[in-house]
Parts: sequence; structure tokens; C-alpha cells
Amino acid sequence: MKKNDNWINVNIRISEIQFDLMMGFFQKIIDYTKDAINAASYLTQGLAVTFDHMRRRPVTVQYPYEKLIPSERYRGRIHYEFDKCIACEVCVRVCPINLPVVDWVMNKETKKKELRNYSIDFGACIFCGNCVEYCPTNCLSMTEEYELAAFDRHSLNYDNVALGRLPTSVTTDPSVQPLRELAYLPKGKMDPHEVSPDDLRVGKLPAEVMDWMKTDALNNQSQQVNSNEVKDTHLD
Amino acid sequence: MVNSGLDIELSFNQAMKGFGISPEIAHLLWLPLPMLLVLIAAVIGVLVTVWLERKVSAAAQQRIGPEYAGALGILQPMADGLKLLVKEDIIPARADSLLFTLGPILVLVPVILSWLIVPFGQNLLISNVGIGIFLWIALSSIQPIGLLMSGYASNNKYSLLGGLRAAAQSISYEIPLALSVLAIVLMTNSLSTVDIVQQQNGLGVISWNIWRQPVGFLIFWICALAECERLPFDLPEAEEELVAGYQTEYAGMKFALFYLGSYINLVLSALLVSVLYLGGWGFPIPVEWLASWLHQPIHSPIIEILTGSIGIIMTILKAYLLVFFAILLRWTTPRVRIDQLLDLGWKFLLPISLVNLLVTASLKLAFPLAFGG
Repeated sequence: MKKNDNWINVNIRISEIQFDLMMGFFQKIIDYTKDAINAASYLTQGLAVTFDHMRRRPVTVQYPYEKLIPSERYRGRIHYEFDKCIACEVCVRVCPINLPVVDWVMNKETKKKELRNYSIDFGACIFCGNCVEYCPTNCLSMTEEYELAAFDRHSLNYDNVALGRLPTSVTTDPSVQPLRELAYLPKGKMDPHEVSPDDLRVGKLPAEVMDWMKTDALNNQSQQVNSNEVKDTHLD
Repeated sequence: MVNSGLDIELSFNQAMKGFGISPEIAHLLWLPLPMLLVLIAAVIGVLVTVWLERKVSAAAQQRIGPEYAGALGILQPMADGLKLLVKEDIIPARADSLLFTLGPILVLVPVILSWLIVPFGQNLLISNVGIGIFLWIALSSIQPIGLLMSGYASNNKYSLLGGLRAAAQSISYEIPLALSVLAIVLMTNSLSTVDIVQQQNGLGVISWNIWRQPVGFLIFWICALAECERLPFDLPEAEEELVAGYQTEYAGMKFALFYLGSYINLVLSALLVSVLYLGGWGFPIPVEWLASWLHQPIHSPIIEILTGSIGIIMTILKAYLLVFFAILLRWTTPRVRIDQLLDLGWKFLLPISLVNLLVTASLKLAFPLAFGG
């Protein structure tokens, strides 16, 4: 009797193991199929994204023929006015590597500095703008010139004559099609080719911002005055 | 089998007979013509593919692409080829110069030879060899020898690794490729590419093999991409890890042979996919129906010329749609690792293609009408 029970138990256990093995196998196949289907769906999604790019316009700016208009705060090659300079050497002191060379001599008779030459090596300049920021007579300024390629690095060492030249503006150069940068386009526009020069850019213009700041300041002042008055009355 | 449609060879021979030339000489005169034609067609196909690749890649990345060499940069591939043609031919000092030279030739020749069996119409192929598609599979197995040869002969670790990878890849993807072709052959009862296309053209677009062999189509396409070493399977020449794989030491015309070979192979694979699965030269609506609608007898000259030109246009159109798809895939999928590649080949595609073959065989027994009994 007991022996028989055992046999049944063994049989049940064997069939259970077989069942588990079968289920494991099927589960494996199901997982495998799921993986394959997932992979295929991800691939399709990726392809849809790539295909969507077919209808988008190129964002290329065809450089020598088209150029982006540099922004107002663009830090390009430095402009220098010889006649304004007082040879104070502030620019040298604020420069991270003391780059500007100020060549002056003391005129014993007038007891004044006499400037002979001034030069900045744009091969070493990092265009940080400290010299422009600190120049007491505003004889240094930033231009929008950025095409400083040269065959000889020594030719990048600009003397006061070269520094005094004004660059050709992108907007006035007849051989160049000027294009606006992304931040200067009207709202919703992505391609500068489609924008006419009259379209205003998105957001406030600097002059408008200036007006807004002025009125805002006035309002604040009057508010402050008012609140002060209120306080005064309370004190009374 | 009754030959219908244009037979240019017959008319050529008859014209030659008219000039008083014996049939043997006429045959000799005829022989180089289709070869030359196919060589030119292959090279033009490559030029178009290179241009398409550059333009579509540019569009996918929102660039413009080649623009100044000819209208829309259409002459850019010519300029590339010309540059490679006049470049210095360098053989590295410690390389095996014989094998180094033989390698690219061995890669290119079988690919061009495979154009033998690509039909553009009923009689518009070089030779309707009985073993057709099998010839292509056999020829494409020569390629890895050339790749391995050039990789080994370059005496460069990157080249050797690239060559080994190329050989491993080609060998492991040849088997599922052959098995999926076998399923088609089972349905057609013939290895000839002409028969394979004809079998699909009974009802136009509905009778194309892609509906009866969707799994086979996918397997074939994946394997064809792997055979062409296109992304995502371009790891024999993965530039981030292997510089340029087996091409590393090659320059000038020898490099151009590899370049040409890879693009001819791509066009060839696309053509064969369209032949095997997309009805080859067949128009979505059978031309016989069109002819009956136009009340023209099927053998009238106008219809024959129309059929011939539609055939060529349809074949090329289908092939280039597939090339376009391959280029899209190139910019969508990331490159697989070598272990993933071999896993995919041996553990996924091989069993699935075997199952596909078995299912096709049983379907053929069950529904002999639809599956070519």
C-alpha cells in the first residue's frame, strides 16, 4: 500500500517536473518573441524619426556666401583708437596674460607720456574683453570681426594701424548674404532664409527694454514713496 | 517555356545575317555587348547610389550635401572617382604585394560577375543560367577570401582584425541568406531568376513573394545588409575602433576597387531583393491586363517596347527604393558589436530561416495553388 502511494507520488512529481520544463521552454519562446517584437518596434520608431528629417529644411549657412550677423555683444577682434589712448597700461594690467604692448616714452619737457606704438597679438588673445571693459578713455572696443585666419602667426600681431581698421560689416558687404541668428528671428521661424529684413525679432528690442526699465523704476519709486507715506501716517 | 517579349539578341543576329555575316561571328560580336552594357550599368548605378547616399545622408542630418559639382552635385561621385584614379598607389613596405593587389580584385570581380543573373525584363539579362540565384550565392562566398587576403597581406593589426571580422560576418550570414532564398526556390521550383520573377507576376502586386515570404524577406534584407557591410553591420570597417578595417592600408585605385565593390554589392543586393520578393520587373498591375484594356495584342511592337521599358524602370525603381531604405537605416541604427552580430546570425536568423523553410514546405504541400506546388 505504502509502496503504491510512493509510486503515485513519484509519477506526479515527474509529471510536474516535465510540466515545469515545458512551461519554461514556452516562456523562453514567448520572451524571445516579445524581445524581437520590441526590437522591431523600436527600430520602426527610429526609422520614423529619421524619415521625418527628410521634410525638414537644411540649417546650413553657406559660409563664404552667407554669413550670420554677429550679435550686439559679440566679442570679436579689438578695435583701438590711437589718439584717445593715454598709455595708462590699465589694459595690460587687467589682461590675463599682460598681452597688449604699450610702447611709450616719457617726454621730459612736457612731463607727459608720449605713445609711440600699441599692439595686441591676436594669436594669443582670448577675447575676454577685460581691456575693453577697463579702458578709462574708451579707446578700446570690440568689433564683430572673427575671420582672423592667417598663413603666418606673426601676422596676427596687430599694431596700432591694423588695430585702428574697421572690419567690413556683414550687412554692408555686397558679396555676402547676411543671415540672422536663431535668437534674432521672429517667433516660430527657424530658417533665416525665409525671413524678410523688416520682420521684427521675437521679444523686446534693447530700446524697448530700456523704456520698460525706466518706467518700471519710476513706478517702483512712486510705490516706495507711497508706502513711506503710509508708514509715516501710521507713526503719527 | 514560351519566350515572350523583346529578344534583342535574336534581332541583332538577324540584322547581322542581313549584313552577310555568319551566325558564329555574329554571336562573337554580340557577346561583349551585354557585358559592356552591364558593366556600364553597374558603374552608373554606383555613381547614382553614391550621390543618393550623400544627398540622403545630408537630408537626414539637415545639411545640403554636395552642390557645386554639376547640378545638385550630381557629378560629385565622378569627382571622387577621378581623385582616387590619380592618387598615388601605395603598397606598404612590409606587405605582401601580390596578395595585397589580388585582394581588392577578388572582392570586386565576383560582385560584377553576379550581375550576370539580374533580370531587367523577360530577355533583358546577360544569361538565363539554370542555377541563377545559386550562382550568386556561390560567387558571394568568394568575397570573404578577398577580404581576408587583403586584411592579412596589409601587415597591419587593424587590417587583420577587419579582415577576420569580414570573413566571420560573411560566412555566418551566408547561411540564413541561402536558406531564405531556398524557401523562394521551393515555391518557384526553379533557381533561375527569370522564373522566380515570372512566378510572381500572375496577379501583379498581390502575387509578389513578399506577401508569401514576409519573414524570408526580412531575413534576406538583414543578411544582405550584413553581406554588404552596411550599417548597422559595418563593423569590419568600423572607423572608431579599426581605423578602416581591411581598407586601412589601401589608397588610390585599389581603395577605389573596394569602394566600388561595396556599392555595386549594395545595388546588387537591392536588385536581388526586388527580384526575389518584390516582383522584379513586374508592374503592380500585370502588363497583360493593361494591354487588354488598351485593346492591343500582347505581341504588338508598341506593347513590347512599353513592357521592356516598364520592366527596366520598375526594377530600378524598386532597387533604389531599397537603397534609400538602406541609407535611412544607416542613419537610424547603431552599430552592433561583433558578439551581438554573430549571436543575431547564428542564434536568431538561422533558426528562424530554418523554421521559415519548413513552414514554406508544409504550406506548399497544404496549398499547392498559392505556394507553387
